[in-house]
Amino acid sequence: MSGYDRRTFLRGALATGIAGTVAGATVDRASADSSPASAAGAPPIPPFHGLHQAAVLSAPRRRTIVAAFDVVTEGRGELADLFHTMTDRARLLTTGGATPQVGITAPPADSGILGPDVPGGDLMVTLGVGASLFDDRYGLAALKPAGLTTMPMFPNDDLDPAWCHGDLVLQLEADDDDTVLHALRDIARHTRGAMQVRWRMNGFTSPPRPTGTQRNLLGFKDGIANPATKNAAEMDGLVWVNGKAPEPAWTAGGSYFVVRLIRMLVEFWDRVGIDEQEEMFGRSKDTGAPLDGAREQDVPQYHLDPEGTVIPLTSHIRRANPRTAETDAGRILRRGFNYDKGMDSVGDLDVGLIFTCYQQDLRRQFEATQKRLEDEPLVDYISPFGGGYFFALPGVQDASRSFGGFIEV
Amino acid sequence: MIASSLFLVAGCSDSGVKAAAPSTPAAGSPIQISTSHCGQGWTHPAAGRQTLTMTNTGTVAADAYVIDVPGGAVYGEIEGLAPGVTRSLPIMLGQGTYAIRCQPEDGDPLVGPSVRIGGTDASGPAAVPVTYNDLYGPTKQYQEYVAGGVKTLLAKTRTLTSAVDRGDPKAAKRAWLPAHLAYEKLGAAYDTFGDFGDAIDGLPVGLPKGVHDPGFAGFHRVEYGLWHGESMSSLRKPADQLLKDVKGLKADLPNEDMEPGDLPLRAHEIMENTLQFELTEKADQGSGTSLATASANLEGTREAVDLLRPLLQSRYTGLKQMDAQLDRVQRLLDAQKHGDSWTPVASLDPSARESIDGAVGELLERLAPIATICYPRRTS
Repeated sequence: MSGYDRRTFLRGALATGIAGTVAGATVDRASADSSPASAAGAPPIPPFHGLHQAAVLSAPRRRTIVAAFDVVTEGRGELADLFHTMTDRARLLTTGGATPQVGITAPPADSGILGPDVPGGDLMVTLGVGASLFDDRYGLAALKPAGLTTMPMFPNDDLDPAWCHGDLVLQLEADDDDTVLHALRDIARHTRGAMQVRWRMNGFTSPPRPTGTQRNLLGFKDGIANPATKNAAEMDGLVWVNGKAPEPAWTAGGSYFVVRLIRMLVEFWDRVGIDEQEEMFGRSKDTGAPLDGAREQDVPQYHLDPEGTVIPLTSHIRRANPRTAETDAGRILRRGFNYDKGMDSVGDLDVGLIFTCYQQDLRRQFEATQKRLEDEPLVDYISPFGGGYFFALPGVQDASRSFGGFIEV
Repeated sequence: MIASSLFLVAGCSDSGVKAAAPSTPAAGSPIQISTSHCGQGWTHPAAGRQTLTMTNTGTVAADAYVIDVPGGAVYGEIEGLAPGVTRSLPIMLGQGTYAIRCQPEDGDPLVGPSVRIGGTDASGPAAVPVTYNDLYGPTKQYQEYVAGGVKTLLAKTRTLTSAVDRGDPKAAKRAWLPAHLAYEKLGAAYDTFGDFGDAIDGLPVGLPKGVHDPGFAGFHRVEYGLWHGESMSSLRKPADQLLKDVKGLKADLPNEDMEPGDLPLRAHEIMENTLQFELTEKADQGSGTSLATASANLEGTREAVDLLRPLLQSRYTGLKQMDAQLDRVQRLLDAQKHGDSWTPVASLDPSARESIDGAVGELLERLAPIATICYPRRTS
């Protein structure tokens, strides 16, 4: 019996449900505009099918779960089946619909925490693969994205192996906690025996305080100077992998995805004077404006301040993005989420940032940025302890395709 | 519960049945459940995912089933519908002939008029109900299995107790595992043996002083002492008490009636316990034999499944895959057995541990339908 057959057992009932609910689900999609998130001003979530995964260029939602998995299937057939299952679940969970009825033949097919029908248009699912998936277990070495490596230990890192890496990474985004949790529970149930959670972190974005870009837990607006996601040429140059050598062709439409779990030592930070805080970032804490400007979106004029008298040369924004011709192609598309996971052993808050970013080239973009940020003054107040390098797969283009297309060619 | 039913009743008058409409109540008045009008009111049978509403118009509580005609397979059920109450039943129906079967609490069942649904849609999954009578034989056989296992348990516990009594810690440690496994193979889970279960295999959880609590008894108490260097003389009392409780269990067995519904539950609950207490190593008191316990639990699970197999053969479409998963878990556990010793869970390499956890998780998903399918239902 093939792995595919083996795993279709749980899906069988659900597939029946899907077939019966396509029309209803379509209606749900069209009504996504009237969801509470949209009412609050957030743009509607794009459809699941597309050249690229929907979340990459979409504005982050209010809640996220980032989870890395180790694949425990035996053989490539079962791995292909895992990707089919992940695709089916992602499609169903994002599209919504009635949960199938299994009568007396099984326990309920759905946890029911979102009610009898799964709402459509509320969820984004992003799936990525890590370098370890291409080791000798499944014979995938020749298919590995050329730039995909295991995330190294950077000089200011304090990486905990239990919080690092993974064969797969899954990011779920929605505006409510129950939506992302329902999705994780559903996906875990349907992939039981095929993958195990290695680590997971829940995160949230904050509303504008009072306007503009969200603030991180150090109180600073974070992610102001992102590349323009609506500029297709810029995205082609900075985000999307094009599948040309040395990349394997299948990677076209995907993007390198970095996850960094960064603890923020907020008690220490709160004991730092405002001038020093602002000089570390290079921005005003209140407005988010660069220290030589007045408004959040003002562009810092580094050429007028070569000595760093106004915006220190060591400040975070100046190191991260020097805005020179040479570093222009090194920009990254940031997607930050805050996290809050309780207390540490001395009674301080264990909170911080789930830093994620997309880019075309890990060396040219994330690693070059990271290199410039090495030993920046801010490193005393933050501690990167986890995350990993992944490749966000190309989008699933239609109902006949799967995330796992690349291992079936 | 009642409030939500009323909402559905109110809502059902203005919406027609559409195959694709999620959870849309059926058109028309509710279907009647009673001894005089069973199944009446199902006036617009339609294909697709839908919600039927049923009202008990009789004077006694009744179970209501949507069945296949003439096969009798159940597509959906409402258990214990009280007189005057209306409840909804989400269901997936395709081409075929169906009827409502009303099963009053203390009377004979009635089957309502047949209704036909045309088209080419497929129905949701269905199964012919398993009756109390069907479960009588397997339950009796399981009790015989337990009775046989308890004899082995008693013999092996004697070996353990006498090693403790003569003050031989090496022999006692050697004898502990076989005796404990004899118990674990019985497939006890969730209060199976009542007070004897706690006395023989209880954990220190819930005891105010934990492992030092005078109420901590049984195999794990002896295990704690043996693997924490307690003196043999101080272990005599718990070891003797263990033997006494095993004897008590053996003597009590003939008086213990097992509910027919218990065996199907056992099919997944034994391994639920394994996942919760053994693979987490919560139960371990120093011997590091959680995987040996897991393997014994798997044996108990197989026994339960095999006794139910004749009932499952025609009812559970995932049986073959479940068997394959039982084998997979067995294989992964066997790989951690080295002669008479087992890898402690904490010493497993992370990928081996993930494989075992994942495989047991999947096995549980595949065992769980057995409890639903074999839940005893009255058909006469």
